Amino acid sequence: MAESDDEYVQDISDEDIEAHQVTRGAGAGSRVTGQGSRGAGWEVTRTWENVVEGADGTISSTVEGLLEAGKRKRLLKDTTPLQRGIIRHLLLVLDLSNAMSDKDLRPTRYLLTLRYTINFITEFFEQNPISQLGIIGTRDGLALTISSLSGNPNDHISNIQKLHEQEPKGQPSLQNALDMARAALFHAPTHTTREVLILFGSLLSSDPGDIHATISALVSSHITVTIIGLAAQVAICLTLATRTNPSLPPSQTYNVALNEIHYRDLLMRATTPPTTPHSTTERSGVESSLLMMGFPSRIVDPSPTLCACHSRPTRGGYLCSRCSSKVCSLPTQCPACGLTLILSTHLARSYHHLFPLRNWREVTWARANESGQKVCFGCQAPFPERPASLRRQSTSGAQNHVRMSLATPRSQPHPPKAVHTSTASKDGVSESGRYECENCGRFFCIDCDVFAHEVVHNCPGCQSREGILTSGTGKGVGQTEVVVEEMTGETAS
Amino acid sequence: MNAVDGSDHYNKTSDEPPPSLLTIILDTNAHAWALLAPTLPLSAAIANLLVFINAHLAFNNSNKVAIIASHTQRAEFLYPIPSEDDSRQANGSTHNGAQNGLDGDMNMTDGNEANYAATADDANHYRPFRHIQTTLLSAMSKLYKTTSPESLTPTTSIAGALTLALTYINKQSIAFSTTTSSKTNADPLLAPSDPNSIQPATLNPRILILSVSGDLAHQYIPIMNTIFACQRLTIPIDICKIAGDSVFLQQASDATHGTYIALTHPRGLLQYLMLGFLPDQSSRKYLVPPTAVGVDFRAACFCHRKVVDVGFVCSICLSIFCSPPEGAVCLTCGTYLQLGEYGGKPAVVAKRKKKRKKGADE
Ligand SMILES: [Zn+2]
Ligand SMILES: [Zn+2]
Ligand SMILES: [Zn+2]
Ligand SMILES: [Zn+2]
Ligand SMILES: [Zn+2]
Ligand SMILES: [Zn+2]
Repeated sequence: MAESDDEYVQDISDEDIEAHQVTRGAGAGSRVTGQGSRGAGWEVTRTWENVVEGADGTISSTVEGLLEAGKRKRLLKDTTPLQRGIIRHLLLVLDLSNAMSDKDLRPTRYLLTLRYTINFITEFFEQNPISQLGIIGTRDGLALTISSLSGNPNDHISNIQKLHEQEPKGQPSLQNALDMARAALFHAPTHTTREVLILFGSLLSSDPGDIHATISALVSSHITVTIIGLAAQVAICLTLATRTNPSLPPSQTYNVALNEIHYRDLLMRATTPPTTPHSTTERSGVESSLLMMGFPSRIVDPSPTLCACHSRPTRGGYLCSRCSSKVCSLPTQCPACGLTLILSTHLARSYHHLFPLRNWREVTWARANESGQKVCFGCQAPFPERPASLRRQSTSGAQNHVRMSLATPRSQPHPPKAVHTSTASKDGVSESGRYECENCGRFFCIDCDVFAHEVVHNCPGCQSREGILTSGTGKGVGQTEVVVEEMTGETAS
Repeated sequence: MNAVDGSDHYNKTSDEPPPSLLTIILDTNAHAWALLAPTLPLSAAIANLLVFINAHLAFNNSNKVAIIASHTQRAEFLYPIPSEDDSRQANGSTHNGAQNGLDGDMNMTDGNEANYAATADDANHYRPFRHIQTTLLSAMSKLYKTTSPESLTPTTSIAGALTLALTYINKQSIAFSTTTSSKTNADPLLAPSDPNSIQPATLNPRILILSVSGDLAHQYIPIMNTIFACQRLTIPIDICKIAGDSVFLQQASDATHGTYIALTHPRGLLQYLMLGFLPDQSSRKYLVPPTAVGVDFRAACFCHRKVVDVGFVCSICLSIFCSPPEGAVCLTCGTYLQLGEYGGKPAVVAKRKKKRKKGADE
């Protein structure tokens, strides 16, 4: 091995290297060290320097501002409606090798990964109720099935719990794990996504053959691989991620966790259904099709009857909407007639990904005065009054904002979005503490803004204004139609 | 005990059960109430509701209430109402003249209002009760006065009311947790770093919907969004179904572990309210709640807003259609859909095959 590799080879015994072909990078000897994204972790962010004393000698106003900025930062994400692969097949690959016993993530990489994986499973099924998840582990140069592909979160969680009794050991094998994942995803229907998510703590992969052949096989079976590294960036991982996701930038597919919270954020990001490129059929292999599904109703029989799925006597259950066989739980496939039975709530859970609520824009003092809305429409909390000091200070930044926005033509009742965001935004925080929905023109406080976008995914104003229900049955789609218009408008512009 | 800040009263409240915030959504669809008038006029319903609210407030000194009207075309707060009105209200309770005038207007819709006007003057009337009563009645009359005849449709904007209820509950919970525990204040920068920092609702919130109209299929998506929000925040949605029928409200109460009661005798509204809906979440553990036997889990199709039990689902956007859309193009996302034998079978089908296959591989 090349001399430059010394610092990374030291914990590998010679037998390991001889027994397996150790893959480290795209070419022989080429290797990316941890200077890339890991480097950012060493930089100290001096948060205290942002805290400035306010006019009253306290820092409370600044702290509140920082708090609000923090809330908004999380919020201001892309709300362009995108096609997403809602029905997913995801295989989670866990590195169970020696490298996972490192204590740089507390308590250890291994224990933290197990804990986060359990959270991930819960959140994954929360976000993707009709999807399938499987878990594969890799250690001692082998891949092993930890939990086979299924839609039941409890099975996965209990399987992960069992790992607590085991110790991480040996070297991982990406190739074996990927081959196993490919076999498991082979039969995934064409209208679903085929994804592999790897949590990788090692800096090498000990493989029986050429991993590049495996990567090519993954590409041809339309399997996408995303990787979260725990140590440093590894070239083969980067190759793997970029080759299987040709349309996405590497920053979205391969990341190295800087600390515990970052690790968690990266992992939780994977619970959001992936976007699918518009030219779906050729690129990602996802074929759209129309699925026939039944929405059965729950019944409680006066006396136990046999269920069609397990032939067990039960009282409660769901009746297939086509053939009236009784099944115990949903989602499932009717054992008698083959109809897919699902709760409509399972489908509806994903709608906020498809019809996201648009970001609300910040409101300048000028606009706030103009409109005269004194309380938050959502929670009835009064808005702050415009401070008198703001009018007198001629050099303050806030004053400049006001001036600029006053310069925008008044005659135009709804100035274009760009003008407002450019003048009023300072870390996305509104100077007047008001946030305006562009559809209904109502003002909201920061708490309602965060809550509406992160939890409810509804605009209180849009849902309760005159005329939202005027589209009668003749007109058809109602809200969806509005969304479609927005979607097409968005893509056109 | 804790003599650090000498705040005895804080210790005392911590022993008491947490206050509960009852948010009532009143379906004020005039159409439906007119149909109900022979059995349960709106005035009687509001009188019953006020008794129920008073009972709720009497339970615990710190209990709170909010009332939201789910009107035919909009949703609006009936109590509490914005501060400018609030100050007017404060004046109104001292100078009752103006207030009585407003109450008098309610006589248009019913005959019982004279009683309220009389009680508003009553010095023996417990002040908080009277405040809610006068606010609610004047807001109701304002609501009906501003309703134009053409906006009267047989539907009601329950999604808007639910969203308002949730934002209000969220704000109140935040306010409550910051006033009771100084910890949240001491470390404000901690909160944003926590990814799913939904405040553990120390305030015991719940939502009660008095529903009189059916046909909510037009608001399918927003209603579903609010149901999931309630599920995540463990806020039960109780449904008091006075008239009409709605599958989605039934699903709402089922998903959030609320109580669903369809009134067989609307005349006995007060009794249903007192016995079925007065206990809060913590007391319900010790009671046997009225259970809905079957739950209708049907969905609404996106094309005609028809309630369906078998539907066609677009695999890209999960839109539900009652029949395969024309030209096999999804009406929502515009994707060309392969109709085939109604699709590659969804996820659940592939499972069994795969297991066998994998077994063979190993
Ligand atoms: Zn069964
Ligand atoms: Zn069947
Ligand atoms: Zn608010
Ligand atoms: Zn809006
Ligand atoms: Zn239809
Ligand atoms: Zn579609």
